[in-house]
Amino acid sequence: MNQTFDFGRWWMLVGGHWAENRKRYLLALLAMGGLLMAWYGFLLAIDKFGPLNLFLQYTAYHCGLYVVGCLYASTIFAELGSKARAIQYLSIPASHLEKLMCGILFGVVLFFLAYTLVFYLVDIPMVSMANDIIAREHQHWPGTMSPIGKVEVLNLWNNQWAPMPDKQYHLILLGYFVVQSAFLLGSVYFKRWGFIKTIVTILLCWLVFILFMGKGLQEFLPEGWHYDTPLQWINFSTPGPPQFVRLPPSLERILIFLIQYSIAPMLWFITYFRLKEKEV
Amino acid sequence: MVSVRNLTFSYRRRPVFNGLDLELKPGSIYGLLGRNGTGKSTLLRNMAGLLFPQQGRLDVLGFEPRKRQPAFLRQVFLLPEEFYLPPITIARWVRHTACFYPHFSFQQFHQYIAGFDIPAEGTMQEMSYGQQKKLLISFALAVNAPLLLMDEPTNGLDIISKGQFRKVIAGALDEKKCILISTHQVKDLENLIDRILVIEDGKILFEQDIETIAQKLTFSFSFDPEDLSRALYSESSFKGNALVLPNTDGDDSRPDLEMLYKAVILASEQINKAFKS
Repeated sequence: MNQTFDFGRWWMLVGGHWAENRKRYLLALLAMGGLLMAWYGFLLAIDKFGPLNLFLQYTAYHCGLYVVGCLYASTIFAELGSKARAIQYLSIPASHLEKLMCGILFGVVLFFLAYTLVFYLVDIPMVSMANDIIAREHQHWPGTMSPIGKVEVLNLWNNQWAPMPDKQYHLILLGYFVVQSAFLLGSVYFKRWGFIKTIVTILLCWLVFILFMGKGLQEFLPEGWHYDTPLQWINFSTPGPPQFVRLPPSLERILIFLIQYSIAPMLWFITYFRLKEKEV
Repeated sequence: MVSVRNLTFSYRRRPVFNGLDLELKPGSIYGLLGRNGTGKSTLLRNMAGLLFPQQGRLDVLGFEPRKRQPAFLRQVFLLPEEFYLPPITIARWVRHTACFYPHFSFQQFHQYIAGFDIPAEGTMQEMSYGQQKKLLISFALAVNAPLLLMDEPTNGLDIISKGQFRKVIAGALDEKKCILISTHQVKDLENLIDRILVIEDGKILFEQDIETIAQKLTFSFSFDPEDLSRALYSESSFKGNALVLPNTDGDDSRPDLEMLYKAVILASEQINKAFKS
């Protein structure tokens, strides 16, 4: 019997988790759909000319994803915050990796799929309703003859109207997985108030990072050097005509790849060890 | 089955164990007694891999508990004093939990819950604390784990259920199993345990089997001052002085666990001397 990961055992864990939480999850999905519908209804009521444009859909999707996703992630290992529940959870004959993978399946994969499904189940009919309103009531922008175009359904994969320069839209989605993983870690790390404590910790880490980039890094640069913009730590310029120092392109690509894709798995890795070391 | 060597454990600055040694063998029901805060639950949770010793060696069924390997967890079942049951039906919970334990017997489980008179319908959250506890005891026994650790199992049980508890525990034991019951309700363990362990000041202060205790000590009430002078431990009561005496005449009496416990705690030197002689 494999003591680290056994698919059959993991599947039993998944079955148990679903049996215990399915009512809660289904109700939460209904509530999410209801809230989105209410928000879209409000937008339709106040704006009859350009309701539910792509930017509004984009922000609704991502705001909901960040807020609900992080809130949910912070409850994934909430059992560990209560002595009685933690004893029961840690005593289940499954490995720590299986327990973590079960948490990731529900908190990261299934939540993302279910949230996206609920979003489109609300979004598609509401966008169609918005188009009906435009066709029925105002086909032109007020005081002009320019026609109001048909509202399109948000396509998450082309990210039109995303508020990011250089078409780096996927960073918002990747950023979500990083932030959510931090909340997942927070749910193991903190006994109580995991959600709030994780927010405070993220903000503190962010503050330290910004201070380091804004002030600390300058201390390490040679005399007369400074760097241009915070976060662009690979471009340095001297006073006078700008002279940029860049990493070799291959190394730069590797670093960008690692920063984009490795932070979330790294946080899962830390979560695994926290789970392993958990005492109750 | 369980070997504890030089176990040291503390909660931050509060030391609990300082070099505790203990050996548990299969085929016995152990009663772990001790005052509040002496570490009974802590010892059980160390054995179950829920707390990690700071020093010493802990071997349970050939495993190091702190690793919490699945092969270890399926052989050890801890019935905690504070427990949680999810708000689902008994049938659903059992179906999704029993599958982790290879020796779980559905037949035994149904026998036990019938014996405890637990309603098989409805969700577990609708049950009273006592019913939930009986359900968990039934599950714990049906798991058929070689090592069963029970922390205050009779807390919250009514008198009839306590009797039933003793009956099912006695029936569940075989030569391959070991049951360790931690309690401060000593009377609940009478006629049930084979060996008694008393924990005090972070160490096992007293460890004997019931047969040896019966051979070495007698428990009686007396107004006779001569008996009182021979007593290893005494306390006054309406029925006379309750005495723990050396068993010099070879009397065959069942030990009074409550008196024994008090004697061990309050007159440990005399009691231990009686067992050395």
